[in-house]
Amino acid sequence: AAMAAGRVARWAAAGALMALAQPARAEGSEVDYKDVFAAVSPYMWAYLGAALSIGLSVTGAAWGIFVTGSSLLGASIKAPRITSKNLISVIFCEAAAIYGVIVAIILSTKIEPVEYSDTEGWPRGAMAAGYGIFGSGITCGLSNLICGMCVGIVGSSCALADAQNASLFVKILVVEIFGSALGLFGVIVGIIMAGNVRFST
Amino acid sequence: MADPESSGMNNADGGAANFFAAMGCASALVFANMGAAYGTAKSGVGVASMGVIRPELVMRSIIPVVMAGVIGIYGLIIAVVIVADVTNPDLTYAKGFADLGAGLAVGLSGLAAGMAIGIVGDAGVRATAQQPKLFVGMILILIFAEALGLYGLIVGLILTSQG
Repeated sequence: AAMAAGRVARWAAAGALMALAQPARAEGSEVDYKDVFAAVSPYMWAYLGAALSIGLSVTGAAWGIFVTGSSLLGASIKAPRITSKNLISVIFCEAAAIYGVIVAIILSTKIEPVEYSDTEGWPRGAMAAGYGIFGSGITCGLSNLICGMCVGIVGSSCALADAQNASLFVKILVVEIFGSALGLFGVIVGIIMAGNVRFST
Repeated sequence: MADPESSGMNNADGGAANFFAAMGCASALVFANMGAAYGTAKSGVGVASMGVIRPELVMRSIIPVVMAGVIGIYGLIIAVVIVADVTNPDLTYAKGFADLGAGLAVGLSGLAAGMAIGIVGDAGVRATAQQPKLFVGMILILIFAEALGLYGLIVGLILTSQG
């Protein structure tokens, strides 16, 4: 306990010294978080958004495909009839990747060259456009990531249930449709956000 | 430095208000989708497992999946309300931060509600297969879990109307 108290006292002393030892700043020269946003190029945000929309969507689709595919292959050892029907689950997962491709292509067509001026920085529209494209990209990408995982897990259960009772396939497919709607929500919001974006006014 | 209440498109501050609005829109949909996906997947696995022994109960047991999907709709609603602000050149910082708060409110509430719906739905459908009288009890518990997402939607709508 004495060692802990000593450690706390040393941290407090170090903190007080750092607070007191701040270099003197000229009036009005404080740095603010807004300067960080002003210094970052909108093209970083825009290209990150386009990249994330395809990268994360494909990750989700891949996750779903390996979860569904491995269960499907295992279940069809004793019930080979289920193979062709349950490929629908794999196609549902692939749809998440297709959504990501569509949005990524839309976003990349929205990026236009603008001039940076040393006196005024980036133009008015370019900043909001960069944030909009980034927001659209991560919305679509993360939604499809989570949608792909969900559809994959449900598809795996669908294959296992279908192998035991053929009438269950269509019923569990309804659950998969609810899951794939989530990726569709992400694409809708991503396209709406990207539609309003204008790099050069 | 820029006045906190000023327009977000003052070039000296990089239009940061639009960034926070974009993050609010994204988090509204992404976190709500995470909750909805968890609910759908967890309940779906339960439905598939119990459908093997009681196929006639499967269509009734899809109710937890539908409720999880509604959580995703909540996030979609707030995201569509916020999306117009992302490319608004006259966005004030107050509105931008309000959008961020609204998005996080509905998103994180939806995440929590979706997880609850998933776990309750999974346990509920498996139990209902063995004891049919538990169906009403499962629905009641799911309604309480759904209400959590609704609270987030309410607060999100209040926040987006401010600022």
